[in-house]
Amino acid sequence: MSKYQESEGILSDIISRRKLLKLAGGAAVAGLALPGLAVPARKMPAKPNIVFILGDNHRADAMGCSGHPFIKTPGMDRLAREGVRFENAFNTTSLCTPARASILTGAYAGRHGVKNNHTPWNYRMTTFLEYLAGSGYATAFIGKWHMPGKGLPDLPFLDLFVSYTYREGQGSYFDCPLIVNGKDTPSRKSYISEEVTDWAVEFMGGKHRRAGNAQKPFCIYLSHRPAHPPFISPEGIAGMYRDADVKSALPKVVDPWWFGKTRRNVFQGIMMGSYYDQYRRYCETITAMDREVVRLLDAIDREGLRDNTLVIYMGDNGMSWGEHAHHGIRESYEQVIRVPLIARAPWLIPDPGAIRNTMALNIDIAPTLLDAAGAGIPADMDGASLLPLIRNGRAEGRKAWMLEFWHYYPEPTPTYVGVRTDRYKYVEFRKGRKPWLFDLKEDPGEERNLYGTPEGKKLLPRMKALLEKLKKGR
Amino acid sequence: MKKLDFKDRFLYPAGTVFAVMAVSWAGYFGSACLENDALHQALAKVFGTAYFISVAFGTLYVYTVSYLRGAAPGERVLASAISPFIWATKENLLLLESYGILESIYWYLNPLNFWLICFMALQMGIGGIVARAVLRRRGEAVTVATPASLALIAVSVAAIVSAYAWGKGENLYVIFLAGYRALFGYGI
Repeated sequence: MSKYQESEGILSDIISRRKLLKLAGGAAVAGLALPGLAVPARKMPAKPNIVFILGDNHRADAMGCSGHPFIKTPGMDRLAREGVRFENAFNTTSLCTPARASILTGAYAGRHGVKNNHTPWNYRMTTFLEYLAGSGYATAFIGKWHMPGKGLPDLPFLDLFVSYTYREGQGSYFDCPLIVNGKDTPSRKSYISEEVTDWAVEFMGGKHRRAGNAQKPFCIYLSHRPAHPPFISPEGIAGMYRDADVKSALPKVVDPWWFGKTRRNVFQGIMMGSYYDQYRRYCETITAMDREVVRLLDAIDREGLRDNTLVIYMGDNGMSWGEHAHHGIRESYEQVIRVPLIARAPWLIPDPGAIRNTMALNIDIAPTLLDAAGAGIPADMDGASLLPLIRNGRAEGRKAWMLEFWHYYPEPTPTYVGVRTDRYKYVEFRKGRKPWLFDLKEDPGEERNLYGTPEGKKLLPRMKALLEKLKKGR
Repeated sequence: MKKLDFKDRFLYPAGTVFAVMAVSWAGYFGSACLENDALHQALAKVFGTAYFISVAFGTLYVYTVSYLRGAAPGERVLASAISPFIWATKENLLLLESYGILESIYWYLNPLNFWLICFMALQMGIGGIVARAVLRRRGEAVTVATPASLALIAVSVAAIVSAYAWGKGENLYVIFLAGYRALFGYGI
């Protein structure tokens, strides 16, 4: 079969796959077995507790369990060992704010309307936290909200809302001024990840809940600041990769001066130190966050909640560290759109430690959590429940999805929209660049743009049609 | 002090720094194409350092030399600003790929350029003192540390220190973005 034939049938598959996944997810929660789905032996909790942990700018390969040469992430490794790790997990918009809105709403940015980091949260769609609160859950949002607007949004359904608006909502690594349920509150712990984890552990233990909610199942959305620049880690972790062979984890093209090259102007980042040091510190902040993942998992064990708590770890977006002469997020490169995604649900997973290769997206988180809670998946969500994939490594997933990006001043990336299949990536830019078309199987490094080539000309009509179909489905 | 012709007092000092910047820019970016990693790393260090010095500290050379060659104050400032301006403008042109002309022009106000201007002012203050010290050694009756030079140094150092102390410059970036939103909205 030629590579062109392989994409045949995708058009008709997209919608039906989504419907199938939603149906299968609902059936799984209802305790029904669909043909081909493995059913684990453990008893399924009617309403499991949910802990969703979000990292910032965390590359999919920056974990011990994903083969990084030196980074230590025992917490994430444990989650992967006891759960499943999605090796092909992606975000649909490679920028913090829209990616976070997509996680909360289960929708593409074009639907929820939070399109770049200047765009405020607009209440256009309901978050999964609100749906869960309506389904009998005690809910908490703890950590980085990072959507602009006048202060934090009004989310009255939350039992606990701990966040910050300091420095465009980025907060600070140390002594970050918090806003807790609308009130300015100083941090109790100095390091931000320790502080937000404390709030999560307390909420798990029944504190900070509304009257009558102490015994309810809970959903905690725990959003960390690491690993967003400036990369600062606490004592005991800062400097731990000083002697690491950092070059083994970076592309050869980079050099110590390289930090500024990404904006073409060398020494843009001169005050931040050398590129190698920056990468070391990036890894250290991930390890600092992971230390809190360890603490959270231990707390879940201590509370006796392990067997009825769904824990998911995800990153909002990846980032380039030198690949394609690029540093950072925004672009549609694999290093940027791929994110870490690990799920642990002991009652669901027959093969702990397994890897799932099916494509999973940030917009799948909301439907997955609603599905797990038996809350029903709203029709306006673009994502689909991952529960069938978590349960069964052979379950079929989606074949294509849409990449979206709206330019975000002052970053030098034009607005684009694209489609990624399990083999191809096609991206159209609003201005400034000709389209990109990559065969990821033959060219995983995305170094040979097929657009305009004879091979690309054959592929193009199908990719354009696929993109149009996805746009209409949004 | 003899006033040399425009070529000697303006073009040569400014052109020297621009040439170093252009060659080191080409050498730095070109070195990334080399297959030999050791050679690439070595050249990147040399050219990267030269590039940085030419942009960040070129003002000291241009201002001092043009002063000694009889350039008027306006000419000295203009000659000193040529290379940094070209360096900064590259980024504005890059932004045209994604944004309109006005948004690209707004990039001139970014905090990095604020730092650069502060450092340039500091070097002009120091350069004036150095130039007059040389002239005095040559027998000219000049005051080495003039109030204007000292004031320029004091103001630029105060701006650098206070901007750094105020959130290591991050707050300047927040203001820059707030200004953008006030002028251009969300940009989409």
